[in-house]
Amino acid sequence: MNTTTKATASQRSATPLISLPQLAPWLIAILFLLLLPVIFNSGSALTIMNQMAITIVFALAYNMLLGQAGMLSFGHAVYMGLGGFFCVHLMNMVEFDGLWLPLPLLPLFGGFFGLIFAIIIGSFSTRRAGTVFAMISLGVGELIAASSIIIVAFFGGEEGISADRTMGPETFGFDFASQLEVYYLTAIWLVISAAAMYLFSRTPIGRIANAVRDNEERAEFLGYSQRYVRMISFCASGFFAGIAGGLFAINFEILTEENLNLGTSGVILLVTFLGGVGFFIGPIVGAVVFTLLQTVLSQYTEIWQLYLGALFVATVMFFPAGLTGLLAMHIQPFKLGKSSLLLRPYMRMLVPILVCFLSIAALLETAFHARHAPIGENEMNLFGIVFDSHGVLPWVVIVVLVLGSGFLVKRLAPELKEAWDDANYLEPRS
Amino acid sequence: MSAPAIELRGLKKSFGLAEIIRGLDLKIEKGERHAIIGPNGAGKSTLFNLITGRFHVTEGTISMHGERIENLKPYQINRRGLSRSFQITNIFPKMTVFENIRCGLLWTMGYKYSFWTLVSRQHHLTERTEEILEKIKMTERRDDIAGVLTYAEQRALEIGITIAGGADIIMLDEPTAGMSHSETDHIVDLIRDVTEGKTLVMVEHDMGVIFDLADKISVLVYGEFIASDTPEKVRANAKVQEAYLGAASEED
Amino acid sequence: MELIFVNILDGLVTGLLLFMLCSGLTLIFSMMGVLNFAHASFYMLGAYFGYEISTFVGFWPGLIFAPILVGIAGALVERYGLRRVHQYGHVPELIFTFGLALLIEEIIQFFWGKNIMAYDEPDILNFVAFSIAGNAFPAYKVFMIFVAMGIFLVLLYILTRTRVGLIIQAALSYPNTVQNLGHNVPLVFMGVFGVGTALAGVAGVIAGPVLGTFPGMAVVLGSIVFVTIVIGGLGSLWGALIASLLIGWLQTFAASYNIVIGDVLVSIGFTRPENLDDSALRDLWTLTVSQIGPILPFLLMVLVLAIRPQGLFGKRES
Repeated sequence: MNTTTKATASQRSATPLISLPQLAPWLIAILFLLLLPVIFNSGSALTIMNQMAITIVFALAYNMLLGQAGMLSFGHAVYMGLGGFFCVHLMNMVEFDGLWLPLPLLPLFGGFFGLIFAIIIGSFSTRRAGTVFAMISLGVGELIAASSIIIVAFFGGEEGISADRTMGPETFGFDFASQLEVYYLTAIWLVISAAAMYLFSRTPIGRIANAVRDNEERAEFLGYSQRYVRMISFCASGFFAGIAGGLFAINFEILTEENLNLGTSGVILLVTFLGGVGFFIGPIVGAVVFTLLQTVLSQYTEIWQLYLGALFVATVMFFPAGLTGLLAMHIQPFKLGKSSLLLRPYMRMLVPILVCFLSIAALLETAFHARHAPIGENEMNLFGIVFDSHGVLPWVVIVVLVLGSGFLVKRLAPELKEAWDDANYLEPRS
Repeated sequence: MSAPAIELRGLKKSFGLAEIIRGLDLKIEKGERHAIIGPNGAGKSTLFNLITGRFHVTEGTISMHGERIENLKPYQINRRGLSRSFQITNIFPKMTVFENIRCGLLWTMGYKYSFWTLVSRQHHLTERTEEILEKIKMTERRDDIAGVLTYAEQRALEIGITIAGGADIIMLDEPTAGMSHSETDHIVDLIRDVTEGKTLVMVEHDMGVIFDLADKISVLVYGEFIASDTPEKVRANAKVQEAYLGAASEED
Repeated sequence: MELIFVNILDGLVTGLLLFMLCSGLTLIFSMMGVLNFAHASFYMLGAYFGYEISTFVGFWPGLIFAPILVGIAGALVERYGLRRVHQYGHVPELIFTFGLALLIEEIIQFFWGKNIMAYDEPDILNFVAFSIAGNAFPAYKVFMIFVAMGIFLVLLYILTRTRVGLIIQAALSYPNTVQNLGHNVPLVFMGVFGVGTALAGVAGVIAGPVLGTFPGMAVVLGSIVFVTIVIGGLGSLWGALIASLLIGWLQTFAASYNIVIGDVLVSIGFTRPENLDDSALRDLWTLTVSQIGPILPFLLMVLVLAIRPQGLFGKRES
């Protein structure tokens, strides 16, 4: 164990800056982004992919605060939203006032406006971390969201403001009328922003942000003002959130109060935490999974937000390191070469867990239908099976399934736990 | 003759009605190893916290190399070349040993709040970190997470972080607290080694360590110095024996 | 002049209602260091439980049993949720209560749907208590004032005159030392969380008929509650009381005066621009005080924080 860590240590100090193994994930990601629209080329798929890319940028920016600097914000939508609002105005100025601004540069301006507001608000909100920062971010977020309804001239009131992205000068022959062009523009900004945020975490300020997160007082005795460190992290995060806002403006060509309010701020917290705040790729995983879940679930069920809420609470309670953390837990067994130990218990667990989740979902769906379907409409369709939600038999079947699979999961859990412990230790324990 | 490294004049500190530090005067010369001893609750840690900017001063002045530093922020005092350790281990538990030391180096090596340099590119920084790891004999533990180190290792790491920045005044708050004899010996050697040519101020309970290391000793009792002199003279001081050393030597 | 008196009473109702939420929130925060983001959700649960009970046995049993049910729900959340998350630190705790707030809203919609409930004040209180210059003051609001005052007095009695109160007070001033006194701290925590959420439940039961019982009621009040305790100073009960009343009056007075801000600006010496349509600031000239009423608490918060970062009555800095 010791020899291996030493080997990697000396390797690391000897390697040049940009080596192929370090670049490989980025190259693969770029290739993947290039090929994605070839595989999924329908309009709705492009929309989902664009939305995903924007959410990734925003979630990465959010994690600069939450994960890197340990600051929990309940109002971060403000910086994305304001960046977006300014970009919509800029697009309108391009269209009506003859302002010369190529569309691909627009997100940069979104970033600057996000940065400006982050400087203004951060100047007093970053004095403290923890609960106080969280509450101030909430208050300021609500203030700006509420103001946006009142200040019609700038925010357009309840309807918001809209623009047309195709009115600017053509860039290399693209006018961005097609979804595909917008996709590639978004993807380029995604790569640039993600790389910039990754590099930021590797700078002195990025490292010290981690130190302030872990132990703000110790950092002060090393010459760093915790407030400055938080302020800089906050501004950087505001900048990238603003870029996400600019991308949003380009994609949807409309911004409303919804882009500023607590709902959006909450979703980004959910996305980031679900993915895992302790890892750089956590927010990326979170954004992809969340967007897919949201798209798929909302097509099939009315109570999809209930499932997401439950998933979120369960993540906070049982997997505070998020989905990425769950995957990272498996690195140790892999390193020890004992991951095969886990295969059997996982396979045995798979079916009962699947049945358990599905039957609980069936229970919720049936209960929801029984309570809320219009009078007389007793028939419902679940997983392709049509039955009467008021009938006794379906309820009996579902309850038996829930209890049966739950019982099996409980029975099998100790076996999994034992295999897990074995797989994480070098020596087999007696 | 240059100004003393640290000079206290009429220093007082009250918490509400309780006066914890009751008028201290002290000069610590450059390059001196100065130990502050005293019974529990005498105000030793409070004094440390006053000098390093953790607490506000109620009355009096603190000077460092002739410049007033009382009521400055901890980071401002640190930037002037004073670094401290803590009684309760105070490290960055989620970061690696290497990164802990590197954090102690960043400011003094001039990186400040830079967001345009990559730390891994700074060979100088990496080398300097390695040197300090070597000094505190923790090169083996380089990539381990600081939180999983043993207590004694964490104490050594704490000293490593404290001296990393190259401050010329080092303040150590009970560096050997809770250690076994062999661990204490190791730490004493380490302290002697890393504070070579620097001003050292330390709070300590272990008399062996103090007489081993200190050039001068100040005895703090109920917020006042009852003696401040060389170890031999302090040992011979009747007031000190009565107030403090008496009990300790009987135990031996 | 009479209008001012009516506004003072109305503001008192709003302020006391806010205080019922803020007091529980402050107690929980001071004892456990947890800012319960889901506090307003327990208030909403109180309203829905009160409604559900009222459909079977009427309003009054609901006033008793709904808060008890909410308190039990709160205690269970503390026991099986919060206590587990506690080990990860304060930020995850806050995230947990935030998630809980989302979940409770979804659960409410699962059972009761998205529509507003037909939850009304009891007939016995459905009359005009008195009227001032043509402004009717309903008896139900008088009842609300009495309930809130009553709860305030009971709380004051418990905190200053009983043993449990002494422990809580000690915890308020010296959060870390109470654990060393040998009290069953987990049980005290569960109790405080239960009582705190039950207080929110009472507020929900009596506010439901007036402010409306719908799934958005927690969000509407929630952020105001947090703003209030930040203004008052996190962890200060007196601060919470003063800030609640302040915000209650601020909102009531703002809502009832239709002063156009432009007129105010003119009266203090600004000149109105000729062509408002082109001006980005045109809203500043045409808005009325009642329109900006909803943002006043947030503005007040920013103002207070700029001058006194720890809030009006806050002592502890962190």
